Amino acid sequence: MTGAAVRAGQPTGGGADRLAIVPAGLPSGRRWSDSAFYPYALVLPALVVLVLVSLVPFCYAVWLSVHSVEFGQVGDFNGWDNFAKVLANDRFWNSLRVAAIFMLIAVPLEFVLGLAGALVLNQRVWGRSLWLPLLFIPSMMAPIVVGLLWKIMLAGSWGLLSVNVIERFGWLDGTSVFASSDHALIALALVDVWQWTPFMMLAFFAGRQALPESPYRAAAVDGANGFQTFFHLTLPLMTPLLVVIGMLRFIDAFKIFDSIFILTAGGPGVSTESPSVLAYKMTFEQWRIGESAALAVMVWVAFFVLCSVFYHLARKRLNAF
Amino acid sequence: MNPQTFRAPTRAALAVVAMMLISATGHAQSWNYKEAAKPFAGTKIRVLDEITPLQETMKTLVPEFVALTGIQVEYELLNHFEVINKGQADMLSRRGYYDAVMLHGFQMGQMLAANAIEPLDSFMKDKALMNPALDLGDMIEPANKSFGVFKGQTYGFVNWNYNMVYWARQDLLSHPAEKTAFKAKYGYELAPAKTFKEFLDIGEFFTRKSGQMLAGQPLKTDFYGILHEGITGGATLVSVWENLMKNFGGGLFDAKGAPAFDTPENVAALTMWAKMWQYSPPGQAEYSLVDVPTVMGNGIAAQAIAYSDFVLGVDKPGGSPLAGKFTYSGIPVNADFKGPRSAGSEPSGIVINKASKQKAATFLFMQWMIDKDTQTKLINAGKGGVPIRTSSFAMPVLGGANAAFYTAMKSTLAVAESKPKVPKIFEIYDALGPIVQQVGQGKLSPAEGAKQGQAKMTAICKACLL
Amino acid sequence: MPSEDTLPADSAAAPAAAGAAMHRPPAIAIGWTLLTIALTAFLLLPVLWLAAMAFKPDDVMFARPTQWTFLPTLDHFDYVISSGFLGHLFTSVVLGLVSTILVVLIGTPAAYAFARFELRGREDLFLFILGTRMAPPICLVIPLYLIFIRIDLLDTFLGLTLAYMTFNLSFYIWVLRSFCRDLPVQLEEAAMVEGWSRFQVFVRVVLPLLRPGIVSTATLCFIFSWNEFLFAFMLGGQAVKTLPVAIPLLITAQGVRWGEMAVVGMVALLPVLLAVFFLQKHIVRGLTMGAVKG
Repeated sequence: MTGAAVRAGQPTGGGADRLAIVPAGLPSGRRWSDSAFYPYALVLPALVVLVLVSLVPFCYAVWLSVHSVEFGQVGDFNGWDNFAKVLANDRFWNSLRVAAIFMLIAVPLEFVLGLAGALVLNQRVWGRSLWLPLLFIPSMMAPIVVGLLWKIMLAGSWGLLSVNVIERFGWLDGTSVFASSDHALIALALVDVWQWTPFMMLAFFAGRQALPESPYRAAAVDGANGFQTFFHLTLPLMTPLLVVIGMLRFIDAFKIFDSIFILTAGGPGVSTESPSVLAYKMTFEQWRIGESAALAVMVWVAFFVLCSVFYHLARKRLNAF
Repeated sequence: MNPQTFRAPTRAALAVVAMMLISATGHAQSWNYKEAAKPFAGTKIRVLDEITPLQETMKTLVPEFVALTGIQVEYELLNHFEVINKGQADMLSRRGYYDAVMLHGFQMGQMLAANAIEPLDSFMKDKALMNPALDLGDMIEPANKSFGVFKGQTYGFVNWNYNMVYWARQDLLSHPAEKTAFKAKYGYELAPAKTFKEFLDIGEFFTRKSGQMLAGQPLKTDFYGILHEGITGGATLVSVWENLMKNFGGGLFDAKGAPAFDTPENVAALTMWAKMWQYSPPGQAEYSLVDVPTVMGNGIAAQAIAYSDFVLGVDKPGGSPLAGKFTYSGIPVNADFKGPRSAGSEPSGIVINKASKQKAATFLFMQWMIDKDTQTKLINAGKGGVPIRTSSFAMPVLGGANAAFYTAMKSTLAVAESKPKVPKIFEIYDALGPIVQQVGQGKLSPAEGAKQGQAKMTAICKACLL
Repeated sequence: MPSEDTLPADSAAAPAAAGAAMHRPPAIAIGWTLLTIALTAFLLLPVLWLAAMAFKPDDVMFARPTQWTFLPTLDHFDYVISSGFLGHLFTSVVLGLVSTILVVLIGTPAAYAFARFELRGREDLFLFILGTRMAPPICLVIPLYLIFIRIDLLDTFLGLTLAYMTFNLSFYIWVLRSFCRDLPVQLEEAAMVEGWSRFQVFVRVVLPLLRPGIVSTATLCFIFSWNEFLFAFMLGGQAVKTLPVAIPLLITAQGVRWGEMAVVGMVALLPVLLAVFFLQKHIVRGLTMGAVKG
């Protein structure tokens, strides 16, 4: 790098978004922003904060997970003991089962309904810019408020739906959806569907709108009908988006806490005890800190792996992000 | 007279006067809060307590202590769930934000095992701190000692004698048409249930569908004979344990402290429990101890077993359209069981946080809360309440219109014992709660429930008592 | 550029194609519109019910059978205000604003750097940031709680602001990066050719262009802080009580105060409603973290 005119520095030929011109080295300290350190300086504060609030707690959790912690007081190092205890705890496996059932009911439903909704919105609809935001409300509400809302709708013996729908049609032996260990989890999944279908709808709608028009024009000229257009054109073109959004939702569904907390607190029994709820109880009710830290570490690591896979997949193969 | 004979009477008189003076100043130097608090005036203590009508009344009295002693008291009230979580968190983490924390009886085991409570004995022996007129003998027993005394040391005094009572719709029980029909069907007079058999009979009798008649009026919705807490967490298990199992000769632990859930006595109790649910509203599995009074107040059940302090919130003018129509009595007994009677209760109190930096000042506050003066003021200010002192029952405000209520309470308090000191009680509650609920709902047979419960308990602890 | 606008964009999207589109009878448009309205109403019915509950007197609320008409009351609002929930509201607003402003200040340069520069280990850094966003909150709460106790950050504004950074900062950087990538590089390069330093370019050229992106993403961050429950519940306390935390607090000894909960729920909904209306276009991009271009 010559110390000559900074402005005409080395072009890097960076990508469409990358700066093609990079100033050549630090010329006698005149402009700090031309130094090679500049980009790192921009990123540094954010990294410091994130390391502080994410990495440090993670390391602390790891440290806790390998010690025996009696009632909040840290004791001796005990290696894999806590992890073994968690893996031997059948409530742990139950929580995974709960998460799996929840995800497998909620996410596909949200997906299909969201896609259907997006296609409806894509038609000639008057006043769409009014309906769209309204439709989006459930997805933007605080999850705890969503939980509260459905607690009211489905409250045993006086909830709006309990009295007028469930009781009237005798769907349950009792009005209490959340008191029935067979039905509570399904009810929770349906609440999640109510909350997140609008999000899927909007994401898919935006994605659909972003698709190029020429294939559709060509298809129309060729006389393709609605079905054919959808299956052979829309679906393949939207696949990257569908996969990304679907995975995002899957990952978020695993984390669920707020609505379960206010609706059933993991009950009846442990039929709705998701991993987050279990971790909460283990920590703040039973004070088995060593084990809950082990649980947290395991979940965290699993998540991180999942997200790496997701990210690389989405980026390389599907051109997202 | 010679001077010597004069001096004797004078000396005697002087002696008498001296003694009078000494006893007079002695009186002026007898113990009082102001004096005792002198070294601590100006310090600040934080007290965490549970929010119920009782403690809300106490909050109005706390400024008197502050004025009396100069000790600043931040008296904080949180709901049941939070007071347990936050209180425990503060004590176990040794954070010490709260100097005094309210603990329910069942929490004592865990807190003692964690060595998080400051024993009171050294304060009690300190003449400058200990109020000689505290009269701990007046405290209702066995609640107080079973709560606060462990292995010879005192850790707290009972402050709140939560107890369960039986309550029923007096207007229905005394309705002539209902009485006639009941006598015809069961062969004895309709009255508040004294035994479990009567409890079930009355429950069966009053469980009716919408459209049928009740007390001369057609019902607009279904009506039920028995209402009880049914939620998995909460106090459902406690009620089943103390109101049912112990009254059938069973319980959770044997004499040595090992799990003893799978016994014929418990199976019998669970069978009774399942029978009770037949006469209960379908949403019962969702009801917490807080929902029961609300639902009872809404008028869809004839009988209930509930915590007395919540009852007061409903059975008062404006509390519910049915206020004034209720009656109370002690928990039903098991006519076939000859052993000691049991009734559901939760003696609870305030303890000193081991991490507190103002332990002595906190001890003064704790004493003040339970002393005779404060308790009298408290019960008068609350126009009733739950006594912790036997002498309180003599107060006129605890009689009159609410006589039946306080008699019921007295009956429960006579046998109220704090929970055994079990450090892993939360896990046990967590494990047994769902089982007990499922037995109630009929999803699990009593025998199967007993087996599963025993298995779960043994997995948690083999020797469960501290 | 796609938009969620109504008729004009739609018919423009497929002019010749559907030749028929323009001549399609309005009946079909009415049909789709009605379907959309029905969908919206169905979806929003529970929200409307919640709003109604805020005004329902207690005896009507639990009435069986359901009572549809009633005389509204402001009792619940009275109780809520006299119980100090204005304090909750204030805390939520302050916490939301402070954490959002901090996130914008720290995150904007970082997002720009990720978009524009070749950083060593860029992919890994980015993945680290993604990881912090994806971690289940409970995994973070447990160690944070124990740490905060030791360094006395429990129940403090600073503590909660820091905690909110865990999800807001990473989210912000992610989304803003995609906004940055959308900006034509040529503008900056031109400015640099003119002799401006990179920093000047950032401040004078890029920031103004990024403004809509910053505003919409920052608003989303505010909404997330506003809606957040677990951190506020566990890491807050008596001094720092946000609006969502107020909801479980309404489960009192006298029973559950549903009407009051409905009031709090509706108040919690307000900023969301406003944000959704004003930011429709950017919200999708934000929530899908740039995977979908607005």
